[in-house]
Amino acid sequence: MSNENLQNEKIPLGSIKVSPNAISNIAYHATLESYGVVGFTSKNLVNGLAQAIVKDPTYGVDVHYDGKDIDIDLYIIIEYGTRIKSVAHSVSNTVRYHVEKSLGIPINEVNIHVRGLRISNLD
Amino acid sequence: MTDPMPALISEANPIKSINGRMLQKLIKAGLTWLRTNQQIVNTLNVFPVPDGDTGTNMVLTMQAAYDEIKDSKETNFGKMAHLVAHGALMGARGNSGVILSQLWRGFARALDDLPVLENNDFARALAEARDTAYKGVVRPVEGTILTVAKDIAAEAELITPVTEDFIDMLERVVQAADRSVQNTPALLPVLKEAGVVDSGGKGLYFILDGMLRYIKGQALDISIGTVQPLSEMVFLNTLETVEPGQDYEVIVDFRPHNSLDLPVFYGTLEQMGTSIQVGEGEGIYRLHIHVPTPNLYSPIDYTRSIGTVTKVAIENLVDQMENKNQACDETQPIVSPIEPGQIAVVAVCPGAGIARVFASLGVSAVVDGGQSMNPSTQMITQAFENLPTDKIIILPNNKNIILAANAAREVSVKDVAVVPSKSVPQGLAAMMCLIPDGDFESVVKEMEHALAEVQTGEITFATRKVEIDGVQVEEGQIIALLNGKLICSCPNVEEALLSLLSKAHAEQYELITLFHGADILKTEAASIAENIQAHFQDQVVEVQEGCQPHYHFIVAIE
Repeated sequence: MSNENLQNEKIPLGSIKVSPNAISNIAYHATLESYGVVGFTSKNLVNGLAQAIVKDPTYGVDVHYDGKDIDIDLYIIIEYGTRIKSVAHSVSNTVRYHVEKSLGIPINEVNIHVRGLRISNLD
Repeated sequence: MTDPMPALISEANPIKSINGRMLQKLIKAGLTWLRTNQQIVNTLNVFPVPDGDTGTNMVLTMQAAYDEIKDSKETNFGKMAHLVAHGALMGARGNSGVILSQLWRGFARALDDLPVLENNDFARALAEARDTAYKGVVRPVEGTILTVAKDIAAEAELITPVTEDFIDMLERVVQAADRSVQNTPALLPVLKEAGVVDSGGKGLYFILDGMLRYIKGQALDISIGTVQPLSEMVFLNTLETVEPGQDYEVIVDFRPHNSLDLPVFYGTLEQMGTSIQVGEGEGIYRLHIHVPTPNLYSPIDYTRSIGTVTKVAIENLVDQMENKNQACDETQPIVSPIEPGQIAVVAVCPGAGIARVFASLGVSAVVDGGQSMNPSTQMITQAFENLPTDKIIILPNNKNIILAANAAREVSVKDVAVVPSKSVPQGLAAMMCLIPDGDFESVVKEMEHALAEVQTGEITFATRKVEIDGVQVEEGQIIALLNGKLICSCPNVEEALLSLLSKAHAEQYELITLFHGADILKTEAASIAENIQAHFQDQVVEVQEGCQPHYHFIVAIE
């Protein structure tokens, strides 16, 4: 996580803190259930060693919290032959929906970075 | 798409193979049937996600596929299938559309450039379609269109050795699709909770069923009896007109003893009455029908004969009709389309009637909201985000919404200006200055200027005992506000209006517009307006239906 700030919500009995790690977990699982996404890749290519598909939920998901807005960046690999725009769109919608549903905090931005295509077999 | 399509084979001969031209017709049939039933698929949405219009997305995807082949003279089946796949891919919309395009991609790939399709090829292609679709996701969710694709592929594999007849095969495949769709709630808990089947799977079923119906020569443009989820059943529209023979509305909830044979069920009901709708959820069916008086109890007797009746509701339509004419018209406004580069106005409106007035003046988007129902920043942004222009003006029409409107301006990348209208009349006055093609800054300035040219009066009731500006108010009393300031409390609405108008020096103005609220009947509003006209004979008094809550009247004096 690039950012160790915690989401804070004051309630009469105390406070609720949600770490970006938890948010990235929700985003990770929501993304993998979206159609067309075949994996995550590391945010910077040096770490990722030639775009290896990673399985750790904190790789490839970047949650930024600047004290006001939550931004989520997703670095994904998409199945070759799908319409990238549509897939990215539905990933963005699904992630936003799931994170907002679980947290109850509006998400400012969900950015999708398509870092590669997986070619399962040639047409 | 409504042009009649001659049946491929009317007397259902066995077909052993089909070519590219036939595929072309089948695709058209699948698309037509899906479009006919689009709304059914749309109502099956579980998640309120923005891309949730599964039916529409699938229709658009299939439309793109059909557009690709409609002028093609290709006779080779495999090549035609590749064209379909290409079109579907290019036009894929939404999640379901993408999956559908993958199904076609796999289907086409299995066939290469096979000249004609036989049953064993069909089974092979369906299997490949399934495999391709499953490859597109790390964690396939069962109980979706993917499961339906899997089940039809399995069925096709089973029956290939049994029959060479394509019609036979397709029939079995369609049945398998239907069974699979009905089973989706068992696999996916969210579907079960919502009491619906999977929408994408249902869409796929309609495409295949459309093909089958076409081969059998059945109609494609008349929806079969619509079975919809209970939660989606809306009866509002059915009240608008009462035709002869629709004296009573009967609603019966019942649990059939055996599975319901829909065609027979509908057939029997059609003999009793009209406006038949059937909803389904959790094993319970809800029947809605309009019947003439002599048949009042027939639907109940009939459903009792086939199942257990759990609840019955009967309403007198003729009587309701008379009341309905009095109540507020909740029809949504039709906003004006906007072109790139033009100035678009988003207005926050506290009632359907007011929204319609704004729409008639040329706003491009309407956000519901007003006193005690302030819209969020996000609701405002969403209203204009998708408009095809960068120049946006927001009319908050309430002083409590100005902040949210300003926040919407902050978060948007578009060029947004907030014209701080504190009331509906101010917003309307500002709308008069809108020039869609004008210079953005000067239009905004003009509109801001117009705010001061109108006086706003509001008639509402006090929610608590209070004394402000020397005016004593008891809880529940009718009060009048002029430009946001409390000016008097009165025993009734009409007196409140009259003292409001005299305080506002309405005799020096030209036009008095009264927007009556949701709790004031049209006839009542009209008679009040008449009395006011009698007091202010030099002014024009207009009455508009506002449908706003809480406020008996909103008054514009200009």
